[in-house]
Amino acid sequence: MITVILEALFLILTSLMTGYLIRHYFFTLTVLRNAGKHKKAPALENTAFQPTVSILIPAYNEEPVIGRILQRMSELTYPTDKLQIIVIDDASKDKTGKIADRYSNIHNYVKVLHRDEKEGGRGKASALNAGLKHAKGEIVLCFDADYYPQRDITEQLAKEFEDPKVGAVQGRVTVLNEPKNMLTRLVALERIGGYRIAQQARDDLGLITQFGGTVGGFRRSLLEFLGGWDESILAEDTDLTFQVYLAGYKVRYVNDAECYEEAVESWRGYWKQRYRWSRGHMQCAFKHMLKVLGSKNLRFKEKIDAFFLLNVYFMPVLVLLSWIISIPLFFMKPPQWLGVGWAVLLISAYSFVGNFAPFFEVGIGAYLDGRTRAHWLISLLIFTFLYNIPICTKAFADLVMSKISGENKVRWDKTAHSGDGNSYIMN
Amino acid sequence: MIENLAPTTFVALAFGVVIFILLMFLPALLELRKPRDAGPRKIMNDVATCESQMKIASMERAEEIEVDQALVKKMANVLSVLPNLET
Repeated sequence: MITVILEALFLILTSLMTGYLIRHYFFTLTVLRNAGKHKKAPALENTAFQPTVSILIPAYNEEPVIGRILQRMSELTYPTDKLQIIVIDDASKDKTGKIADRYSNIHNYVKVLHRDEKEGGRGKASALNAGLKHAKGEIVLCFDADYYPQRDITEQLAKEFEDPKVGAVQGRVTVLNEPKNMLTRLVALERIGGYRIAQQARDDLGLITQFGGTVGGFRRSLLEFLGGWDESILAEDTDLTFQVYLAGYKVRYVNDAECYEEAVESWRGYWKQRYRWSRGHMQCAFKHMLKVLGSKNLRFKEKIDAFFLLNVYFMPVLVLLSWIISIPLFFMKPPQWLGVGWAVLLISAYSFVGNFAPFFEVGIGAYLDGRTRAHWLISLLIFTFLYNIPICTKAFADLVMSKISGENKVRWDKTAHSGDGNSYIMN
Repeated sequence: MIENLAPTTFVALAFGVVIFILLMFLPALLELRKPRDAGPRKIMNDVATCESQMKIASMERAEEIEVDQALVKKMANVLSVLPNLET
């Protein structure tokens, strides 16, 4: 009886993983097929559609990097009479506010909001909401302080809003400090898979394109209608993504709107960042799953993709569960209908590594980017995959405990930035 | 079925797994040892990027110059006393 239950569970888990495998392969093949259509667009300047844009830059203790992004903001090709830059100095304890003030003194379209310790330091969502109150543009874009965008990024992102059905846009993120160490190179590969392939495929197929919290933005009227960013959720970007779709709008991915970011440089930093992402994503799954599945504004294929997207951070937890189940199964005698013992062994081996489809996705992304040897590191992604298992398991356990205890307070653990990326910009 | 495997087959299987793992990680080890594509991927290629880099560097130097000037002032104040001491 126990064997039957364990086998049934094991098969359900493996089926779920197979579902993700098919999804990864489908995305990769879709982007490969459409590769000719996605040739890099020329730089956009002086396009006809130019709405007013407010750019929000939340910053908490970003002294090493704030000057770099503000310098870049002053070099954007978007007409400055239609541009508003709002830096939210979120109770920083370093020179972030002072550096930002320097730029605001020079450029009249740059505004700095200084939040004190009473109102500030409560996380990115809170800072963004504070900035939103001062935003005047029809479009609101967000950039994290460690980012460095291309000069025409505003045009590339804003043009998508000419379609009234578009509620939000997302650009592409490329790792700037990729050469720093093995971890930054692996994170760069993850970004390649996530943006060049997964986001592009979802956009091509009309599925759920995700707003990633930065290098993107919203129609201000829609954002205000939705109540801004939810400060109780750690993945406020994922939350807003689904709110946009539930409201009947869509999110567009713009691969040509590219921006550099500083990736985490230590395994501890990676843990903190991914813990925040996974716990926040799981919060969104609890908040939106039923609404999404029952929504009249989403098509069937969008609901399927939403299901996979909302549950993606549960997968490492389920992989761990499948390993735990496969060990006793390996030693117990399987029932006749399963047939050969090798099938059990192979399924166990397969589920041991999740599946290779994400590696294929990353490899094709690197190929399409014209990388020569970056994909040689793909096999090392197994380490980030294995590392994500305890991260996501802890996030899940903490979330369950918080639901049981009723305590909903979440702590925003900020990613520290070194500012070392400057040396790579001239590559 | 596993228990029906002959010892030689089992050893060959284990050896095969080890070789497979080595082959899987070999390209990564080669690239880490001698990086030829460490990135970052170039996403922009305009003159303004170079100027931007110089402006960021000069901004960082401006802070150093402010400190230097403060130091120079202090030294000047000290030096200004010395001729009086000589007389």
